[in-house]
Amino acid sequence: MGYDASFERLPINACFDLKGSESALGEWMGAELLPGFPTEANRCCKADGLSLDHVGPCRWLLQADIDREAELNAALRPHAAPAEASIVRISDTMTTFRVAGADAAHVLAIGCPLDLHDTAFPEDAVSFTEFFGHKALVRRCAGGFDVSVEQSFGDMTEDCLARALR
Amino acid sequence: MMLIPCPFCGHRNESEFAYGGPVKPDRPEPHETGDEDWVEWLTTVPNPLGPVEERWWHVKGCGTWLTIWRDTRTHEIVEGPGDAG
Repeated sequence: MGYDASFERLPINACFDLKGSESALGEWMGAELLPGFPTEANRCCKADGLSLDHVGPCRWLLQADIDREAELNAALRPHAAPAEASIVRISDTMTTFRVAGADAAHVLAIGCPLDLHDTAFPEDAVSFTEFFGHKALVRRCAGGFDVSVEQSFGDMTEDCLARALR
Repeated sequence: MMLIPCPFCGHRNESEFAYGGPVKPDRPEPHETGDEDWVEWLTTVPNPLGPVEERWWHVKGCGTWLTIWRDTRTHEIVEGPGDAG
């Protein structure tokens, strides 16, 4: 019996890895650029097509459509960031898969140890975890989950997902 | 399988972590300690039958290094990081 789910490889997003204190990053980038810092660990704030994910102590990922990469790069000025803030463009380092369908959570559970129940992993949850043995970023999307892995593990992850869905 | 308390993420599966080894005593000053104590510190890894203080790295998660006390007989985590969720 197969699962009622499917997956697809998504086009890359614009993604910036931000490290530093909230105050240092906010001061450098300006509060108007960011959608606001999430108040809880492993949560995201979304606004105006941007998503700011709190993925570690003093670490955030800023994501948007790839069309906005140049605009964000110009606004963030990674090359000129002060010593208190690190800003690195990592758009091409991640490959994202969208797993959607009624059984999406069951498919993820094959390779991911996270508790993905609504109460433990709500709509604005985002977290690094493990997926088929490799580090992966998991978030909710409409009807399922988006799983991002390092680009070099993309083909392997695609193979694992295809086997899981058989 | 253990659930390890991460100060940032809360309890997470052991497979998300890398073992960082037991916490060793403070390094003695080599010029002020005897050979026996120096060799003991340098070569002997804490390996008690019971609670041992260990370092773990949340390498597949948030990247935090944390310290726990784990009972080597039962794998029960008898003391986690103070601010673990």
